[in-house]
Amino acid sequence: MDIDDILQEFDSGSQQASSAGDLSALTTAWIAERSAPEILPFEHAILERLTERIRQQIELVETETGNMDPQANFRLILLQTELERVKYLVRAYLRVRINKIDKYSFHILSTPLRSRLAPSELAYLKSHLALLNNHYVSSFLRNFPEQLRRLDDTAGGISMVEEPDLDSAVFCRVVKRISDEEATVRIPGTDTEFRLALGDVYVVRYSAVRQFVEKGEVELI
Amino acid sequence: MYGDLGQKLVQHAKRTQSLAHLPPYQTEMVRAVTREVRDLDRDVSEILAPFDGAFDPSANPATAYTLLVHHLCMRRNKRCLLAYHRVRVQRIEEMCWSGVVQEDEAVDGDGEASGERNALSPEEEEYLRGYNDLLAAAKGTWTDIDLTGSLEPPKDLFVDVRVLKDAGEIQTEYGAINLTKNSQFFVRQGDVERLIQQGFLQKLS
Repeated sequence: MDIDDILQEFDSGSQQASSAGDLSALTTAWIAERSAPEILPFEHAILERLTERIRQQIELVETETGNMDPQANFRLILLQTELERVKYLVRAYLRVRINKIDKYSFHILSTPLRSRLAPSELAYLKSHLALLNNHYVSSFLRNFPEQLRRLDDTAGGISMVEEPDLDSAVFCRVVKRISDEEATVRIPGTDTEFRLALGDVYVVRYSAVRQFVEKGEVELI
Repeated sequence: MYGDLGQKLVQHAKRTQSLAHLPPYQTEMVRAVTREVRDLDRDVSEILAPFDGAFDPSANPATAYTLLVHHLCMRRNKRCLLAYHRVRVQRIEEMCWSGVVQEDEAVDGDGEASGERNALSPEEEEYLRGYNDLLAAAKGTWTDIDLTGSLEPPKDLFVDVRVLKDAGEIQTEYGAINLTKNSQFFVRQGDVERLIQQGFLQKLS
């Protein structure tokens, strides 16, 4: 029995084959989330399937731990390493989202973007804001005149609501063929125009390719 | 001058960003800036009182400017205060994420952690507790993932670690390990992740 056999057995025995698609989908989503200035829709389905599989794998590891057979042991190490990696991926994905949620909390809550959050994320966002508000009020705002107590004030030239900079540059790749009439992109505010061709890689303002990213025709890299 | 204290507070916040430890909360300064805002607000109402709600800025440009300056100063002070508190709040949140402060640890009075906590104002203390609970709830939603785990991609399942501080006995699936100071172990990274973050163990490359 050589390593290929072990790997094969590993594949068939643990349903990894069917999860390969989900894994790469989550990796793509994670990269996109890291690159995009605004928060992207939460990948419900993928995460649900992955957490279910992680749970199964943990159970499998637990039941196999007592097995002292060297071959099974090696298999177990592979399983655990894989498990750690998947967990890392999910964790990194959730953390980068929480980071954005913390940064743009008011903006997300007051725009349709809030529908992009998972219920747990929305709950986190709300309780976090309530906590923050409470902290500021009890620390100093309660001594302030009534009209200066707001935290989401937009008057006076400087908005207190932090918004993502949609004009920041992103790297992106065209992954689907885009019909001719849509493929020409004009950068807002400039005369620059370019065509999106399949397989091309661009560095461009996020706002210019935003609609294509939402449709999945362009992926961020 | 109006705003001087606010400026100091912001400088303080700026310095905090580059410090390893959270400096003590500037209760006095925060109070003074808040007092300044209240004084300014009182001034504004005093200036406006004779007009009885029918103030016409174009008829009294001088008064209008005074009001404007007062108002801008108040806004500026508010921003300074917010900036100062925000920097500190972020530090507190970092502490929660890295697991430096845990409820039970605070009771033990562990040297380093309680030192950090002494620097907090009662309100910040409150916030820290609240955020810790919030984080615990968020972790509860993702029990298998360990949300506060390392953000370094895992390379090896097992790592060499050296024990920097006595951490007592831990249970692993390969049996119990007694972590005494200066000893060295080859253990599963997932088992000791928290201890590495909290500074009990050091990872050897």
